[in-house]
Amino acid sequence: MKVGFIGLGVMGRPMALHLQAAGHALHVWSRRPESAADLPATRCATPAELGRCCEVVFTVVTSSEDVEHVTLGAQGLIEGLAPGSIVVDCSTIAPERARHIAARLGERGIHFLDAPVSGGAQGAIDATLAIMAGGDAAVLERVRPLLACLGKRIVHIGPNGAGQVVKACNQMIMVAAIQAAAEAMHLARTAGVDCGKVREALTGGSAASRVLDVMGERMVRRDFAAGIEARLHHKDFGLVLEAARKSGVPVPLTATVAQQLNALIAQGWGKDDTASLLRVLEA
Amino acid sequence: MKIGFIGLGIMGRPMALNLLKGGHELTVWARRAESMQALLDAGARGAASPADAARGNELVISMVADAPDVAEVMRGVAQGAGPGLVAVDMSTIAPAAARRIGEALAEAGVDFIDAPVSGGEVGAIAGTLSIMAGGSEAGFAKARPAFECMGKNIVHVGASGAGQVTKAANQIVTGMGVLAVAEAFAFASKNGVDRDKVREALLGGFAYSRILENHGQRMIDRNFKPGFKSWMHEKDLNIVMQTAHELGLCLPGSAATAQMFNAMVGSGLGEEDSIAVLKLLENLSGQS
Repeated sequence: MKVGFIGLGVMGRPMALHLQAAGHALHVWSRRPESAADLPATRCATPAELGRCCEVVFTVVTSSEDVEHVTLGAQGLIEGLAPGSIVVDCSTIAPERARHIAARLGERGIHFLDAPVSGGAQGAIDATLAIMAGGDAAVLERVRPLLACLGKRIVHIGPNGAGQVVKACNQMIMVAAIQAAAEAMHLARTAGVDCGKVREALTGGSAASRVLDVMGERMVRRDFAAGIEARLHHKDFGLVLEAARKSGVPVPLTATVAQQLNALIAQGWGKDDTASLLRVLEA
Repeated sequence: MKIGFIGLGIMGRPMALNLLKGGHELTVWARRAESMQALLDAGARGAASPADAARGNELVISMVADAPDVAEVMRGVAQGAGPGLVAVDMSTIAPAAARRIGEALAEAGVDFIDAPVSGGEVGAIAGTLSIMAGGSEAGFAKARPAFECMGKNIVHVGASGAGQVTKAANQIVTGMGVLAVAEAFAFASKNGVDRDKVREALLGGFAYSRILENHGQRMIDRNFKPGFKSWMHEKDLNIVMQTAHELGLCLPGSAATAQMFNAMVGSGLGEEDSIAVLKLLENLSGQS
């Protein structure tokens, strides 16, 4: 199948390569042409041109504005894609913005799935991402073979926007767990206990989690080079709090963790891993 | 002075009336025509649009709900502005939004002052508002006679946006202050101690505050009528939290407080005074 890909960053690049490796004709557009230079793909001059060549286009960019720009903006996908084609957005954006984009594309008969992912850069490289999809179930079935090249757990959540709601839930649980691990490590170290032993012991019990496993290990080794850049979690927390506010839903823990993320950004660690929440406590 | 006034709600109407009482020549505009009637009856001229409210005037003042409203009316003001017009916004909006509006107006040759107020409807009627202004010295000086009809404690805080920064700081202190008093009262009652006595005792010491005195009394009387509606306090705390997010600023107390107000709006207490946070606390701890 002719598959388009927009956004060739830490997540997008390995995802695009998996699609190409599975035998699909990969077409790409990138804001900075050099990021696509060495890819085995057809390069397109604009998102609209990419849209004219492809039946399915993936987008993996940073913000709601970025997704709107490449889909609905001037020379956007909407100007190139044929009715019946599909846009799969794997970015993390606000649920209501995803619904808005879906509606606008829908007016032209173009399908939209919000399909944010979890699993980080390693999950993208290993093709083990968790994919949470919002949109029409039949549309998801059409692209399921493509998504199966990218991830293992592919769940249809509900209508458009539902995928982004679940991604917000994912971020709330994950970053709160990072904060909990950081506080535990900080307490242990201050009490003169070896953090490596703490992690080893806890991993066998009720406090076991993927975060304690992966981020806890980074805290023990004091390896704060990104995995996941903390500034992206900071961005996501802005989305979560805004969504909670609009629904009148109190999220006291999320709000507190968001303040620790603000402090992390203030310390200049935004491009480091979110395990840096440990360093915020030590500062 | 010839003044245009835009936005005649709970706050704007008494503020505009005080300008008339102060002898100023007033042109008014409101989105809903019926809101203008009280001012027309008192001798103001009605305008057909924000541009019309600015036309021929030396000063134009807006008092509306939120940043998009301010931006929209000020676009109109720029179209009607004559040379030397000073535009003053007294709504509570984000500092960054105020700065953007100021820059846009500067391009049209209009000097912009952000001058949010504190003191509520009571202060607006009595003409005793606190006014915290940001913008140029010259613009502030020109607006000062108008400010003196509406308020008492009038401070030129700094450059454009500084008034809104000060208002946001005010909302941090009042938001956490209301929550602190409510928590102290919940604590006292759960321990079987009379709130009235607690308030009386604390008023003599370092916990004294105007909030403990006034809001505390209303909590004891269980008088939850606004005053200052909790959804508006929630809106203002959202300005605080969004600004903190953009700047990378850690404000744990404000964040916790904002969530309480968020819960108030979600549980149907939004139209009540912000002291209704006491009810939320009581529900959480099974004290009803």
